[in-house]
Amino acid sequence: MSAIDHYINAIMEWGAAEAREDGSAATEAHHLLLAMAADEGTAAHRVLAAAGLGRQAIRDALDREFEHSLSAVGVSVASFDLPKPAPAPEPPKFGASARLAIERGYAAATGKKDLRPAHLLLGVLDTEIGTVPRALALAGLDRVDLMARAREALAGNSW
Amino acid sequence: MPVEDVPVPKDPADSLAAVVALRLLADRLEDAAVEQAMRAGWSWPDVAEALGITRQAVHKKHAKRLIAAGVALRRRQ
Repeated sequence: MSAIDHYINAIMEWGAAEAREDGSAATEAHHLLLAMAADEGTAAHRVLAAAGLGRQAIRDALDREFEHSLSAVGVSVASFDLPKPAPAPEPPKFGASARLAIERGYAAATGKKDLRPAHLLLGVLDTEIGTVPRALALAGLDRVDLMARAREALAGNSW
Repeated sequence: MPVEDVPVPKDPADSLAAVVALRLLADRLEDAAVEQAMRAGWSWPDVAEALGITRQAVHKKHAKRLIAAGVALRRRQ
């Protein structure tokens, strides 16, 4: 397996663990973003870290997006005080948004040989719709600027 | 809050995101509520009836997780 295959496997596995941790039935694009932020030694990680987006910062931004979206229909997550359920033992499904993110990542590269982690970060960021752009906007982060930084890193040939 | 005070999102993106968030919240609530019921000694048929789904469906969705969590489950009668 090539290095990029190992990387893709790693973020899919890590993303699945994130999904299970937050009680999601499927691994979604934002779980892949959490995985990318946790996996050091890549340009994707450096771009996120430079913007202050460590794993915990992204988790906090996602929690805020969750609360914000619920509040739009008058639901307060604070009013539910049930204990945290035990996590599911089997891995979650691979969700539609994660699939789209991976496809967009491939599309951002000129062929599989060129494909690197920052392309996959572009794949997660390259949408105005859904949880990731909403969470970034609520955190006051410029998604388009993050994409520009990922492209710069790719132009510099970094892994 | 009173029903008349519940805001209606103006932006479709907010309405759709609310659906996604409510689904996740409902999934979490279901996991927690079924676990709470089973720890309190409820039977699968009673939990299924309360949720309005079949016994097979509730068992399939939650049994492995609760067994892995060490919850003592009542035998099906």
